[in-house]
Amino acid sequence: MARSARALLTTIGLAALAFLLSSCDVGGLSPIFPDPVSPNGKGIYDTYVGISVVAIIVFIGVEAALLWVVLRYRRSRQPAGYMPPQVHGHTGLEIGWTIAPLIIVLAIAGYSFVELQKDFQPISNQEMTVKVSGHQFGWDYDYLNGVVVHQEGSLAAEVTPFVVPTNTLVKLQFDANDVIHSWWVPAISGKTDAVPGYDNFSWLKIDKPGKWRGECAELCGSGHAQMQIIVQAMDKSDFEAWMAKQKATTASPSPSPS
Amino acid sequence: MATTVLPRPKQYDDTFFKPISIWLTTTDHKLIGIMYMVTSIISFVIGGIFALIIRLQLSQPNLKLVDAETYNQLISAHGVTMIFFFVTIFVTGIANYMVPLMIGARDMAFPRVNLLGFWLIPVAIILYYCGFFTGGSLNAGWTGYTPLTEKAFNHQTFGVDFWALSIIVWAISGIMASTNFLTTIVALRAPGMRFSRLPLFVWAQISTSILLLIVGAPLAAAMILLEFDRQLGTQFFTTQGRPVLYQHLFWFFGHPEVYVMILPAFGLISEIVPVFARKPIFGYMSMVAALFGIVFLSMTVWAHHMFTVGMNTYVEGFFMLMTMLIAVPTGIKFFNWIATAWWGSVEFTVPMKFVFGFLATFLIGGITGIYLASVPVDTQLHQSYFVVAHLHYVLFGGSVFAILAGIYYWFPKITGRLLNRTLGEWNFWTVFVGFNGTFLIMHTLGLEGMPRRIWTYANPAWATTNVIITISSFLIAFSILVLLINVVHSWGHGEIAGNDPWRGNTLEWATTSPPPPYNFERVPPVRSFMPVRDLRESGELIEAEPVLTPT
Repeated sequence: MARSARALLTTIGLAALAFLLSSCDVGGLSPIFPDPVSPNGKGIYDTYVGISVVAIIVFIGVEAALLWVVLRYRRSRQPAGYMPPQVHGHTGLEIGWTIAPLIIVLAIAGYSFVELQKDFQPISNQEMTVKVSGHQFGWDYDYLNGVVVHQEGSLAAEVTPFVVPTNTLVKLQFDANDVIHSWWVPAISGKTDAVPGYDNFSWLKIDKPGKWRGECAELCGSGHAQMQIIVQAMDKSDFEAWMAKQKATTASPSPSPS
Repeated sequence: MATTVLPRPKQYDDTFFKPISIWLTTTDHKLIGIMYMVTSIISFVIGGIFALIIRLQLSQPNLKLVDAETYNQLISAHGVTMIFFFVTIFVTGIANYMVPLMIGARDMAFPRVNLLGFWLIPVAIILYYCGFFTGGSLNAGWTGYTPLTEKAFNHQTFGVDFWALSIIVWAISGIMASTNFLTTIVALRAPGMRFSRLPLFVWAQISTSILLLIVGAPLAAAMILLEFDRQLGTQFFTTQGRPVLYQHLFWFFGHPEVYVMILPAFGLISEIVPVFARKPIFGYMSMVAALFGIVFLSMTVWAHHMFTVGMNTYVEGFFMLMTMLIAVPTGIKFFNWIATAWWGSVEFTVPMKFVFGFLATFLIGGITGIYLASVPVDTQLHQSYFVVAHLHYVLFGGSVFAILAGIYYWFPKITGRLLNRTLGEWNFWTVFVGFNGTFLIMHTLGLEGMPRRIWTYANPAWATTNVIITISSFLIAFSILVLLINVVHSWGHGEIAGNDPWRGNTLEWATTSPPPPYNFERVPPVRSFMPVRDLRESGELIEAEPVLTPT
């Protein structure tokens, strides 16, 4: 599907969802993801919105038809002794409601496939690579320059943040030491599984400084819930300073916890 | 009109309380069907209690009602119990009871295989629950992903081993039942009951049986390989092997299993809508074609459970497309049901209310399924509470609502008595409100980033939603309690139903309620897919003497 069609659908969708959001966002009940801060998260967000346009129309249409049957064709609304027409089918109608869903799902599949090709292909133009390794129960982030951030899981206290520079394309390579884990920060992008002995990757390019939370999304044992994730994005200069400090800490004989 | 009084064998009095020796040794498909259904309802109650404990634990942040290990065992047991021991078993039971009646047969083709197949189910259930009494049950979710279930990470208890053995026994039982159903339907149809006249519930059972025959063996294979890993030290799914291979094997069973649970539900809906709308089913042939379309497609979609595992994007695209294509045959069925009721004279009895509850909620499950099929969106929604909400919309809003419709529809045939209508209305409205209150807002938790299978959480923003969900889940429990009271009460004291309380279309309504051991004294002629209706309209319906008479 052409990019322009995507853009059009997305615009219509945003208008429709703006209404929904305003009516539904009560008490923290939001029908959509948090605002995305990375382009791949934005792509997923837009795909979600695009599908929602069709989904809401289908939902309202079919539920309305059901409601119409309940209200109009109930026995008490029909004349006494009413004998319904004994219709056994209608080839045209049946073909019609085979073709119509087919077109809809092909459109949605095409629309999703464009996003899949755009944001889920292996990348090689990254400005930085971090090896993310899951274990029971925490994450290690290896910057491949001797610096490793250990993000040990905890529910009670805030975990050590994984620090990345803003506006930098960071490739994340995933691995696991024991069982399967899944790295998920909803504001950045979707999940990436960390399977032992199985290469997997993702990327991020965060557009503003800040902290975003996530969790391990694959049941990995009794400490699963404590495998919290915090990603902190810093301006490039701040990041350089942070990295220099980390290097110094790593080099010193008795590293203090960050 | 001629009436025939059937001499009834002594053991066929109308109560549930028959001598235990009859229950243990009977090869009657009806009694075996009842045993399947009762077993599954017991599982439903147990799985439901697990669900309530889970919901209490999650109702507020940082609760410690149960510890993490117990919680993991509870969610695993909830999933296994509901999927393997409740829904699948119930639909097998109701089919066991109804399929021979609907095709005009006297019993299943292999009555003793039927008996063995049923008794393997309590064995499977007991095997699974042995885990709880030997230190710890399965604690890795109902999917039991490796390497978490491997010896290296799960050696303290025998929970995983009991689960694997239980599932192997369960799969053998399922293969037996499927073979039996297919043989029965092919070989034992009444004269005139051509394939083109089979009730849609029977067609649904054919498609379900084919599906379970194909996917039951890979499941057993996965469990056997897992046991080799655990007990013999092989490396099929360990960290040295291929944990992802396990996921492929498991989901090659796991996704079709969803259709093993929903296709009989589709069959039920296809039987009930025409009866209460007083119209024939709309598009009989396209309904049958849609069933087989689903059977075929359901075996080409398993990797949509694995979009985050890291596959080639074209492979993911294939599985995305095939998954979305399932919306086409399902859509055909959905629109045909609506068209059947359209222009009808629709009587909203309790079963019909559940049918419309099914249609209204299953639609939501179908639509959220499209979101989950889309690979990019799925990477966000996968393993979150959005998925939990989705799967309960298709399993509870779909299968269980259809099962409840089936209970109210066929209870009079099975027991000779109607379920109480007032309690039925209470059951419907409380479960409808409770269900949607529980699972509709659960979607938002997933969108906000709450992963499934976490035993507790620190985020205070999720507290309000979770407490609403927990309260609603107790409304569901109340509703099921109403159902159980209704069933127990009506079995002994319900209003006498007569042979054909709903003016049904299919052959089971031509015999007595409950039917005699041989089902029919004389199998009625079959001239269309609505044989009893034909006889009623031509004045040929011979009313069998009611078994129960008002006292």
